[in-house]
Amino acid sequence: MAKLGKKRRVRGIESKKSLYGRMFVLPWEIGIILFFLVPIGQSIWYSFTEVWLDPIEGITTYFTGLENFKYILNEDPKFVDNLTTSLTNFTYSLPIIVIVSFIFAVVLNQKFKGRVLFRSLYFLPVIIATGVVMEFLTQSVGGNQNPIIQLSTDASNAYVSGGIDFEGVLNSLNFPAEITELMAKYINMIFNLLWDCGVQIVLFIAGLQTIPEQLYEVSKVEGATSWEEFWYITLPMVSNTLLLVIIYTIIDLLTKTTDPVMTQAYNLMNMNQNYYHSSAMMWMFFAIVGVITAAVLFLYNRICARRWN
Amino acid sequence: MNFKSIDLKAYKNDPLQRKKAASKVGSWIFKAFRIFFLLSVGYIIIYPLLSMISYSLISRVDLYDPSIVWVPKHFTASNYTVAVEAMGYFKALWNTVYKCVFSALLEVASCSLVAYGLARFKFKENGLLFGIVLLTAIVPVQVYIIPSYLNYRFFELGGVIPFINDNIVGPIGGWFGNPELAIPTNLINSPLAFYLPALFGVGIRSGLFIFIYRQFFLGLPKELEEASWIDGAGPFKTFLRVVIPSSGVVFLTVTIFAIIWYWNDYYQSIMFFNQDFPLAVSLNGITGVLQGMGYAYEKSLGPTMAGCLLFIAPMLLMYAILQKQFIASIDRVGIVG
Repeated sequence: MAKLGKKRRVRGIESKKSLYGRMFVLPWEIGIILFFLVPIGQSIWYSFTEVWLDPIEGITTYFTGLENFKYILNEDPKFVDNLTTSLTNFTYSLPIIVIVSFIFAVVLNQKFKGRVLFRSLYFLPVIIATGVVMEFLTQSVGGNQNPIIQLSTDASNAYVSGGIDFEGVLNSLNFPAEITELMAKYINMIFNLLWDCGVQIVLFIAGLQTIPEQLYEVSKVEGATSWEEFWYITLPMVSNTLLLVIIYTIIDLLTKTTDPVMTQAYNLMNMNQNYYHSSAMMWMFFAIVGVITAAVLFLYNRICARRWN
Repeated sequence: MNFKSIDLKAYKNDPLQRKKAASKVGSWIFKAFRIFFLLSVGYIIIYPLLSMISYSLISRVDLYDPSIVWVPKHFTASNYTVAVEAMGYFKALWNTVYKCVFSALLEVASCSLVAYGLARFKFKENGLLFGIVLLTAIVPVQVYIIPSYLNYRFFELGGVIPFINDNIVGPIGGWFGNPELAIPTNLINSPLAFYLPALFGVGIRSGLFIFIYRQFFLGLPKELEEASWIDGAGPFKTFLRVVIPSSGVVFLTVTIFAIIWYWNDYYQSIMFFNQDFPLAVSLNGITGVLQGMGYAYEKSLGPTMAGCLLFIAPMLLMYAILQKQFIASIDRVGIVG
């Protein structure tokens, strides 16, 4: 009898806790229903239909099943190309960004003179890169060549690489022209990636700061090398942040407006008023992004969480 | 017997001392390399800012002088006055503060609650809700901007608000001699179009903020909260008294990001407002305005750069202020661990 009572009490606390959890989440659920699900549902619905915009009758839709998806995959001249370009860029950018921003965060988290200054400096990309200012930096101003950036030869890529003419430097080294061009391209690309690292650096620094100092003191007393300190303290303690940064980077890289697939879809939507093909493109792309995100979460739970937590 | 020399020899050959000397040299090399590394990459980052400052101060005469690279011979502040006029700077700044910054602060609060619920409490639909959080982070606002414009334009909650207006608010207004009284159903041009989503935790990049909070809350040790539970504090009191004080770093991080992303938002502001635009919109339109004022083509370079600087200056100031808090809050983190 006593046993039964105890069991019931435990379950009572659990159900109370889940009630509390639901209370914390409830306002957000209302918000999601009011401001997110309805517009999103409409956009998904468009991808399975044909949509006409009429000034008098408004929006008319006609259900066509998977026709839009078949069209963009089989007949659209550019979609598959854009998709592969986008995913290739993503594959090499993701590890570079995560590793580079982690290195910067570790360095900026060390105690040295001028650290506050450098931190503010490395925060600049967050302020500049997400907004209108970046557009002014990467476009021509008032019809003139923008003096601040180098526009590459195809003019669609702008490199914000400190006004250094890498191609000129490489040319003076007398390498063959193809190698020079390729190297200049990759150097500029790496510098461009720096501009995508701002948020990640801030997140990593915040994560590193939550590691209690005592852990390092204990490890010093125990005689651990800094290599061991890194593997057994720093990395496990920032593992939550690491997952956060990886997923943020995935989403940021793939869904930013300069991504080829997103650019194509936005152009279709805004210039040609083609809501059905653009919606189909986007939702197919988001499905891919979702699968990548889910795979990363799954791998993290399988490998890292088990080892570190 | 030369005692000293023997001692010195032994000292020099002592492996521990040798290791110490080597590590000292190593740390000097490391420090020098660190500064070199930070400065060289920092140059790339600060270059646009420096050139913006340089071009904003340059007078038009010097623009054509090839001998002038960074520091102009004739300084001028006229670019700034032109930019302030072209952007309607102070009015736009006020609009940004009461529309964007306020929404950002609402979002900082609402997202933390949701994330705490997801991170600390187990309930059946927890995983599903976390999936939706990620979905809101993945789908950019441009995708659903038109349906949400219509949503705000006719904000009737499926007929609920008109019903309330007809049967409750209208008659009450009638008693007080104001039969026109009604809950507004058109949120376009009202700051509510920014406040409401932020209040419910679905504002700009809210999915990301919830995710940031969740990851940090997962890393907090549970013991303090459990102690607070045992002491009889409810979940909300625990959140206010225990969780918030020990997660200063994450709150500051999210505050900084929220303010910056609301400040930089251009797309939603131009959709949901027809007038009283925030700074991002007026900066975006500065080229056209400058042309109207007679500053076309290369003449517009100086004022445009001045405008960009005026746009980012408040954000830099905010970061400088919060950065100090950041460092102060680190000391408190130790208590938790």
